[in-house]
Amino acid sequence: MKVLAIVRTELTRTFRWRANIFFLLIMPMGLILLLGIAYGNSNARFGVFEKGDGALAGQLVKALRSEPGLDVRGYGSQDSMEKAVERGYVSAGLVIPSSFDARIQAGKPVALRYLARPDSLAPQVRIAVESAVSAQGSDIAAARIVRGVQKTSLQGALRRVKAVDLAAPASVELLSARGGKYPKSQGQFDRSASTMLLLFVFLSALTGSVWLIETRRLGVARRMLSTPSSAREILLGIVIGRWVITLLQSLSIVVFSGLVFSVDWGNPLGTAAVILSFSLVAVGAGVLIGTLFSSEQQAGPVGMIVGLTFAAIGGSMAPLDTFPATMRKIAHVTPHAWANDAFNHLLVNGGGLSSVALDVAVLCGYAVVLLTLATWRLRRVLTA
Amino acid sequence: MRESVLHCEGLRKRFGDIQAVNGVSFEIASGESYGLLGPNGAGKTTAISIVAGLLEADAGEAFVAGERLTTRSVAAKAAIGFVPQDLAIYPDLSAHENLCFFARLYGLSAKQAHARTEEVLEVVGLSERANDQAKTYSGGMKRRLNIGIGLLHEPRLLILDEPTVGVDPQSRNAILESVEQLGEKGMAVLYTTHYMEEAERLCDRVGIIDHGELKAEGTREELVALLGEHDKVHLTGTGSLEAAANACVRIGAVDAASTGDGSIELLVKGASAALPEILTTASEAGVSVHSVEVEEPNLEAVFLHLTGRALRD
Repeated sequence: MKVLAIVRTELTRTFRWRANIFFLLIMPMGLILLLGIAYGNSNARFGVFEKGDGALAGQLVKALRSEPGLDVRGYGSQDSMEKAVERGYVSAGLVIPSSFDARIQAGKPVALRYLARPDSLAPQVRIAVESAVSAQGSDIAAARIVRGVQKTSLQGALRRVKAVDLAAPASVELLSARGGKYPKSQGQFDRSASTMLLLFVFLSALTGSVWLIETRRLGVARRMLSTPSSAREILLGIVIGRWVITLLQSLSIVVFSGLVFSVDWGNPLGTAAVILSFSLVAVGAGVLIGTLFSSEQQAGPVGMIVGLTFAAIGGSMAPLDTFPATMRKIAHVTPHAWANDAFNHLLVNGGGLSSVALDVAVLCGYAVVLLTLATWRLRRVLTA
Repeated sequence: MRESVLHCEGLRKRFGDIQAVNGVSFEIASGESYGLLGPNGAGKTTAISIVAGLLEADAGEAFVAGERLTTRSVAAKAAIGFVPQDLAIYPDLSAHENLCFFARLYGLSAKQAHARTEEVLEVVGLSERANDQAKTYSGGMKRRLNIGIGLLHEPRLLILDEPTVGVDPQSRNAILESVEQLGEKGMAVLYTTHYMEEAERLCDRVGIIDHGELKAEGTREELVALLGEHDKVHLTGTGSLEAAANACVRIGAVDAASTGDGSIELLVKGASAALPEILTTASEAGVSVHSVEVEEPNLEAVFLHLTGRALRD
């Protein structure tokens, strides 16, 4: 009952201050939106200039448009497309010559001019384009054989080849090195939502340390200890109160991003386990900071610096996959890295609760250590 | 014989090189008001913190309502209502919310907490502003709320640590009246102050504390009797008051001397006979005396007698 009274007071005080509603609930949504728009669209922009208007050239463009990962934009001239590549509006471009159809009909090779920027997306684009061109090349090769046997036009033979393709489409399944199936590609906001959740929950919990310091500074914490309540009960009330606040924040991010941005949070149990354990780590860290410093002016900036640094090192600002191997190891000093790994298992690999068991166990370990230290420190600062 | 509510024996507490409390022992019975009188830094708040279960003593022990008191003893703390010197309330909660919150921490059920909150709001005169945030209250109202929290669970021992510091005279009087009524209701009250008048008005017995030691204790009459034939002589004047006080203390009849704001206070045995010599000495030391007052001894004079310095020093 005493614990519940402390929890209730923590919640009342937190949400009575209206600015908290903005910082805890509204700002994360705004950032998810901004980062999702800025970095979330993983499709590479690709320019096409089609000089002629032949059927085969049109089929190639259609094939390119259907390539996953390519956002194809048509240009009216070779010059305008080259400028678009130079200026980075598109990652690469393809020039389809006016003689494309005629040369293929005549059984002659066709040279396609491919222009690319030296950026990280170029290899991905090249693979996608080669795949589309090669698929069309295979169809045409097959159609030539059909034309020779059935004495029909190349277009007619191509239609027959396509009909065979449709009747028995090839099934390709991509597997990871460990045999796990790669799932569907992620949506625009999926990655930013999970990383922003981790960043904001941790940051809010750390900056929440100022509430504990205020409670100490006001003499209320010490007075609480003069009542027949143990230091453990007092800390438990404070921790549960802060935990509920971070969980409300997490829940609002999950629900809002799911409804508005169609973010898929994967396995509900797995996601709940990651959020519960990570929030507890964040609260433990916040409460510990609240017992280590004696003024809000000290704890606020420290919480902010630790929160942002851990988020950066732990893969909440840039994906861990982009880190060098050594840096990835260092990253796992932070709880963020474990939580990001867990979200990767859930959201990218489509894993369930068991896939995040290790990550959740590590996060629980962090929480136990931090909360034990915080209890010891709180008792010490209140009775010294 | 009244039942003992608080019993302290040989309490000691050291902070680094400073012996804050040094062998303090005293006892308070139910319905009794006991004052710890001493200047700032005398060790009152440290002694109070030990007795409130907030600070572990290095040595000695304390019992509240028969329960041994430590920082972890929940049963003993249930019998204590603690009112700290500094305000310890949430300014962004109302008086009602603050009281309900602490009532639950004192172990009252939700129903009891609400009922006691209403009663305490009446006692401290905050019923009309019960739902306003405490930060909108005057200093005196905040003080009354601070005291009200200590009354919520009707404790057997109420500890008040300098509750009138920084309070306007009207609120101060209201606080003192409330404390007088509590003693009449059978609550044991431990009251610390450096205001002599408060100790004389409120406390059945007074303990005089200085440099962490309890110098003497007893009723006002018992303490004043320690002075014997001593009188308090109050001189006002201009000039070198410090030098005059040092010169006067060398007179045989003068037991102790201290200087204040434009005045010298002397503890004198047989004041009427010694007065001419005192005035001559003060004059020779360069003080132009404007007025002389011989007063009946009070607790301040007792403090001067026991410690050689004034309460306000």
